[in-house]
Amino acid sequence: MAQPFPYTYYACDCYDNNKPQTVAEAAAEEERDLDPRHPRSNYSLYPLEHLLYCEDCQQIRCSRCVTEETLNWYCPSCLFEVPSSVVKSDGNRCTRNCFNCPVCTSPMTTNSLDTSGDNAAPYTLACPYCKWSTVEIDIEFEKMNGISGQLAKIANGGRQIPTQKERDKERERRKELEARFRDRSALSPSEDSPTMDTWREDHAPSRDDLFSNLSAFYKTQIETTTASNPFSHSDINFSSPSAYSRIMNMYQSTNKRNKRDKPSPVREAASTLEGLSIHDPSTDVAAIERIKTEGWATTLSPSQRHAQTNPNIRFDTELRPLATLLCTKRSKRCRSCRHILSKPESKITSTRYKIKVLALEHIPRLSIRALPSYFTNPTQPPTPAAPHTPYNALKSGIPTHFLLHLSNPLFDPIRVTLATPSTTPGKVQSRITILCPKFEVGANTDVWDDALASSLSPIKHASQDLNQIEAGKIWDRGRNWTSVIVEVIPGFLDNVPGSGLGPGLGEKFALDEKKKKAKQEGEDTDDELDEDEDVLEIPIFVRIEFEADVNAEERSLGDSRGNKNEREKREEAFWTVVGVGRIAAV
Amino acid sequence: MADVVLRGDLHSTRPVPSSSGKEVTPTSISIGRCTVISAGSVIKPPCRMSRGQTHYYPIKIGDNVFVGPQCTISAISISSHVYIGANVTIQQFVIIKENVKVLPNTVIPANMVIASGSVVGGQPARVVGEVGEGWGVSGGGAGGGLGVGGGSEEKWVEGGDLRELVRSIK
Ligand SMILES: [Zn+2]
Ligand SMILES: [Zn+2]
Ligand SMILES: [Zn+2]
Ligand SMILES: [Zn+2]
Repeated sequence: MAQPFPYTYYACDCYDNNKPQTVAEAAAEEERDLDPRHPRSNYSLYPLEHLLYCEDCQQIRCSRCVTEETLNWYCPSCLFEVPSSVVKSDGNRCTRNCFNCPVCTSPMTTNSLDTSGDNAAPYTLACPYCKWSTVEIDIEFEKMNGISGQLAKIANGGRQIPTQKERDKERERRKELEARFRDRSALSPSEDSPTMDTWREDHAPSRDDLFSNLSAFYKTQIETTTASNPFSHSDINFSSPSAYSRIMNMYQSTNKRNKRDKPSPVREAASTLEGLSIHDPSTDVAAIERIKTEGWATTLSPSQRHAQTNPNIRFDTELRPLATLLCTKRSKRCRSCRHILSKPESKITSTRYKIKVLALEHIPRLSIRALPSYFTNPTQPPTPAAPHTPYNALKSGIPTHFLLHLSNPLFDPIRVTLATPSTTPGKVQSRITILCPKFEVGANTDVWDDALASSLSPIKHASQDLNQIEAGKIWDRGRNWTSVIVEVIPGFLDNVPGSGLGPGLGEKFALDEKKKKAKQEGEDTDDELDEDEDVLEIPIFVRIEFEADVNAEERSLGDSRGNKNEREKREEAFWTVVGVGRIAAV
Repeated sequence: MADVVLRGDLHSTRPVPSSSGKEVTPTSISIGRCTVISAGSVIKPPCRMSRGQTHYYPIKIGDNVFVGPQCTISAISISSHVYIGANVTIQQFVIIKENVKVLPNTVIPANMVIASGSVVGGQPARVVGEVGEGWGVSGGGAGGGLGVGGGSEEKWVEGGDLRELVRSIK
């Protein structure tokens, strides 16, 4: 997710932890700096509010190292919960009146076509954004409610869609007809098949027709071949996906058994009535003709097609309104110890959590901001109307000061050690110096303590001799926060490797290749910077040490009582990436 | 903030029964605590044509809502802890639930309901993600503030908590 500058991302090292390592590798790992431009970093950097924390493992947990369990389904549009049984039978779409525009995805509204102003029938679904409506596919509704039920019965153009029962009946009728026809043609084989075509429908069977034919065919096939099978499901619900997967399993197992005792093998569908659809080249020709006459405008974009339940359609007259996809509420568990880290209340309208262990309550929050220029230049008065610090146009080669602010959510004071590579990885190498990499941050006490103490506390007054840019000194501190200065000398955009400095630490190999090619073609490699290569991101390694009460669980294991005030030393370390800004082109 | 237009004059024209018998102007825009509306934004109550007359409906904005610069908002309700980026257009009668992030330059089509916890973006808006569990939680550690800058400090919201920002303005 694109974030405005400045931002801080926290790295979850779950990938590195799960990888089997030799000791040497692990040591090398320790030495390695986090490279925010490494392709893998994309998947391990998160904003702090997205991270959870496992108190048992004492580690950050990101979306990759938690497992999710669905609590319930709901429609994001009408906010009604959908029971899991309905989800299993009807799929993951809203069965109420929620539809999305098949052209632009925006939610559709039910409008009345009645001009008298009484909101009477007929109704249509219309998109308030792109103005597409079901009028364009000749569908109108008689009632305002139960739109999805009505829509399921009307095909584009207003034709009725047969129900499952009607389909079954129709199939039987045709099978009979076909059988009769076969008998007749056996009697007089010379006769051609004009009758065949007369009963054949004037339009090709729809996808749903084929699907019901195929499922009926497989049902009979399985019944005949697995008569001895104790798991035969003659009354299986064939519209549920789980039943289908079971059928597929049975299909495979019967095949295996065939090798042993050879009953009649399962046959594949061989005709339209059995669900076989044979590609007809004439439809292609027709489609091409249609594009010729009506132009590209009537065709669909890939995303529009894929959003449809039938992704094989080509033209805008075949579009159907899309029932809104359901959302889920999920609880999250730690992948390694299975403890629940977050569990929302199951009520859809509730935004509260039963359990929620957040990383931001356990690890310090780092935030960076540009130091207002009046601190570095005392002659300039601190005007409130000072221009915004141009995060988007950092000047190459000019030392710029940033304020790194660290706040402590823990109720114990922490000792912080910060580390950063002296130059940023990547092609544009900027020099970074944290002027005071070791400092303490006070405990997070009650806000009121602070309010009471601030008038008496010497800290605030002592800050007079703080607020100076000097190595080894912190900038400012408060109750549970400390800020230090980071000096950044943004690199030069045209100072690409090969023209002076050595190649960057995490140089991408493919890029090198590209560069080589570019070099062969011409000398102009300066414009070869990748997208976002001018973004200045500083990897910072944070290590905190603190003494905490031995946590309750461990205490209960030991013979408690006596050593109630026992403190244990704890240490935590993690990488963060601070996005400072974009270096301006010179 | 400067240049913010709150069209409070476009109040509901429906007669409101009042005990005193006097004509009482109903509230057309209600805004909760710690809500920031940035420069250049327009908040205009949504309206509907009915029998040749335009009726305006009241707009309700919750607590801790950040509205970025140059936004046009005609939503019917925006719940708490909502972040709206710059240049966002929210069309009429949109309902935004709690803990929602609207990415910059989004256009939210009329009547859309945005469920809580979503991140929406695009034109027209669609749900593109979820906000983290930590959204809107101050985390207890945010206290203190940076102690620098005044009202002109870069507007900056992290994790959906606006208290710091509001404090810095006042
Ligand atoms: Zn992880
Ligand atoms: Zn719905
Ligand atoms: Zn549309
Ligand atoms: Zn765990």
